[in-house]
Amino acid sequence: MHTRRVLHLIGLVVFFVGLSMALALLVSLIYKEPTTWDLGISMMITCGAGAILFFATKGEAVSQLSHRDGVAIVALGWFVAGAVGALPLFLSGSIDNLTDAYFESISGFTTTGASILNDIERLPRGILMWRSIIQWLGGMGIIVLSIAILPFLGVGGMQLYKAEIPSPVVDKLKPRISDTAKVLWKVYILITVLEILLLLGGGMSLFDSVCHTFCTMPTGGFSPRNRSIAHYDNAYFDGVIIVFMLLAAINFALHYRLLTGEVGVFGKDPECRVFLGLVAVLTLAVTLDIYGSVYPSLTQAFRYASFQVSSLITTTGFVTANYDTWPSASRCLLVLAMFFGGMAGSTGGGIKTVRLIVMAKHAYQEVFRIIHPHAVRSVKLGGKPVAGDILSSIWGFFFLYLTLYGISALILAWVGLDPISAFSAVAACIFNVGPGLGLVGPTQNYFSVPLVGKWVLMLCMILGRLEIYTVIVLFMPEYWRK
Amino acid sequence: MKIIIVGAGEVGYHISQKLSEENQEVFLIDKDPEKIRRITENLDVQAILGSGTSPERLRASGIKEADMLVAATDSDEVNLFACLLAKNLNPYILKVARVRSQEYLEEKELFSQDFLGVDRIINPVSAMVDQIRSLMMAPGASDVVDFEEGRVKLIGVTVKPDSPFVNRQLVSFRGVEGKVLVGAIVRGEQVFIPRGEDTIRANDLVYLVGKGNALPYEFGFFRQGEKEEGRVIIVGGGVTGTALAVALEQTRMNVKVIEKEARRCTALSETLKKAIVLHGDGTDKDLLQEENVRDVDFMVPVTGDEENNVLISLLAKGLGVKKTITRINKLSYIPLVSAIGIDTVVSPRLSAVRAILQYIRRGRIISVVPLKGEHAEAIEAEALETSDIVNIPLSQVKFPKGALVGAIVRGEEIIIPRGDSIIRPKDRLIILALQKVVPKLEKLLTVKLDFF
Repeated sequence: MHTRRVLHLIGLVVFFVGLSMALALLVSLIYKEPTTWDLGISMMITCGAGAILFFATKGEAVSQLSHRDGVAIVALGWFVAGAVGALPLFLSGSIDNLTDAYFESISGFTTTGASILNDIERLPRGILMWRSIIQWLGGMGIIVLSIAILPFLGVGGMQLYKAEIPSPVVDKLKPRISDTAKVLWKVYILITVLEILLLLGGGMSLFDSVCHTFCTMPTGGFSPRNRSIAHYDNAYFDGVIIVFMLLAAINFALHYRLLTGEVGVFGKDPECRVFLGLVAVLTLAVTLDIYGSVYPSLTQAFRYASFQVSSLITTTGFVTANYDTWPSASRCLLVLAMFFGGMAGSTGGGIKTVRLIVMAKHAYQEVFRIIHPHAVRSVKLGGKPVAGDILSSIWGFFFLYLTLYGISALILAWVGLDPISAFSAVAACIFNVGPGLGLVGPTQNYFSVPLVGKWVLMLCMILGRLEIYTVIVLFMPEYWRK
Repeated sequence: MKIIIVGAGEVGYHISQKLSEENQEVFLIDKDPEKIRRITENLDVQAILGSGTSPERLRASGIKEADMLVAATDSDEVNLFACLLAKNLNPYILKVARVRSQEYLEEKELFSQDFLGVDRIINPVSAMVDQIRSLMMAPGASDVVDFEEGRVKLIGVTVKPDSPFVNRQLVSFRGVEGKVLVGAIVRGEQVFIPRGEDTIRANDLVYLVGKGNALPYEFGFFRQGEKEEGRVIIVGGGVTGTALAVALEQTRMNVKVIEKEARRCTALSETLKKAIVLHGDGTDKDLLQEENVRDVDFMVPVTGDEENNVLISLLAKGLGVKKTITRINKLSYIPLVSAIGIDTVVSPRLSAVRAILQYIRRGRIISVVPLKGEHAEAIEAEALETSDIVNIPLSQVKFPKGALVGAIVRGEEIIIPRGDSIIRPKDRLIILALQKVVPKLEKLLTVKLDFF
């Protein structure tokens, strides 16, 4: 690993995070809030620190990054971005405890949306805007953004891209990685603008529309309202947000292909078909389960079931109903939805649909082989065989996910959480969802989780956002050996 | 520009690398999954698994919108068929094919627009033979590049520790001005474009720009060639060795070819007229001494086995051969072998890469030649009326750092420029530049920037 290059680019990431504080600063200025100063100082510190780090480590060609460097930049970059992102929250006094501020910031960048705030609405608007901005940045990825903007990264950009968007198969939309990153961000911005307009059209205030959109598109789930989307109790908003949560959890390569005129691409893609199918089946099951027992009318049951299912399977974490009081079958289905997650190449978390499909097919093949010991079969996805090394990397990934899940839940239970809260809190964080069950349920928050628990959950969020390998490799002694 | 490259061998890989570093959109097709994996790891290009002769794969690489197809596999047949398919799928695409078989090359109508429509044929063997001959003309040089049909020469020379130029600043060379110019210096792995205050050190590889007809031998950088005279031993009677021997037979050189296989020797003796064919091993010390290796001027090992070639050259040097020209295939070996004293190497692949790149960079830049180490290039370009570089003294032109005008060609006249030289419109320029400033240079050459 080349420490100089790594620090050089981390400096740049920090600088970008600082620049993005300008929008929050602007909001603060418009509403003439006293926190304007705190935001300005945070911005100066962040940009300054980033610039100093960047210039102090100048000199080594960044176009020759190795895969190791890429992993270090992305993983460390996310921890550092989380730290500077916490500055406005802490300096403005909105959160008076460093761990909590860091938790909120990491939860933002990783698009988890788990909050420690008891009363969100008391925060100044500049700070609320900042919470939304970090989610929006984290959704498509700060590193991918830098690849899009910086021409000099060259091949180095690819190492970073692979480390930040670790989908099982690399989807290069354009031959050049920086063009690919540009396309992704353009599509992201386009859909974002569309959602803001639709929410505005329905009568939501500009500030709320922007905040909610900034948290829908990355499948984040922060809300400037204490009761999240339930605050409005408006079926139109529910509908719009459901659609955009699902769009955000669909592979952005498909959006791009749709925008370039390939009609019907959602139906043709095998992963997309399974994903939308899962949403439909889960919605139907939950609707039937809560119809009568919780909601007397079928339309109401469908409205709340579809929102909660979409929110949790896309790992967004907005809520319109306290699903913690629903029958246990529904709660169980919702936790399963968190595991499933969105599609690869989307902003959603979870295990990702494509991995589920491949693992299911592989498992079936093993069973098939017991019946026909001499059969030669290969796992296919959309008619194309899946390479053996992709297969083994998916199983390795799955094993790591479950192991880390188990260890983290154990630690949480050990520091005092009840089993349901512990298991659901880890699921909600490692899959970047936000709300869980019990103590961390939809009407609760993470404030009461003990200190150690919060740090474990923060690590889970980053592990989940970067899909484990990128982060875990830094903890291997082998990685640091020369 | 959108370019499809078929074949991710040494040639395809290096062209893709160069082009992607220049921000071109490159699609690279190869049917070996291992190569595809290596490419996705290392290059910023779109790697496509499959055959270059599969219409479906060509369509997947967007051949309909592509500007150029470069067929650079090891197989002539695959290259030619890929061009035929490309023509069929996109009649407007430019096609470059690497072709080695002499038989095909002689069938001119095969490549015409009526049939295959290949716009440019790259023949690595003949490119390499030409290069070996240029090198023989300048025995002290380890690299020679011709511009303007040889009227301007770019010569790479390794500076010996006892040279009078060691540790002297470039500005202190009196009397050289206007005749020869130091265009680039390769020091270890580094390449830089020198300025007046830079010094030359021992073992630097110095690129000199000079007039082709009057090379400034008197400055002691290297001794003059004997105008293609002397004794040559070629080791290896394969395609390259044969082509080289045939070419050298036309000159007044005394040619011997050593070949290991008896059957090839017979074939060789039937093809060659004057040259002596020897059956034996190039690493056989007794054979070499028997053939008076001490008096040989050039030892040219061009067998397909590059490690063997290096050994033959080392052995020959030890036995007193004046100069060796060694064929190397893997481009990554080039810096290694110069470290063990083999300064003059040729590579069919490097020749092919050079030739293809020269063709791809069209427009105002006429041709480009990557120099040793590959981080610098010699560019041949035309000065436009609208460009910012014309009609003012060179010292006032805002050239990017790391670029330098090595020669100005004005009709018949060749000027090795000084600070007060002035470029006129329509002049052709030989510019030496680091690769990273090439895009800036391209802009400077083509557009006038009003806000300067």
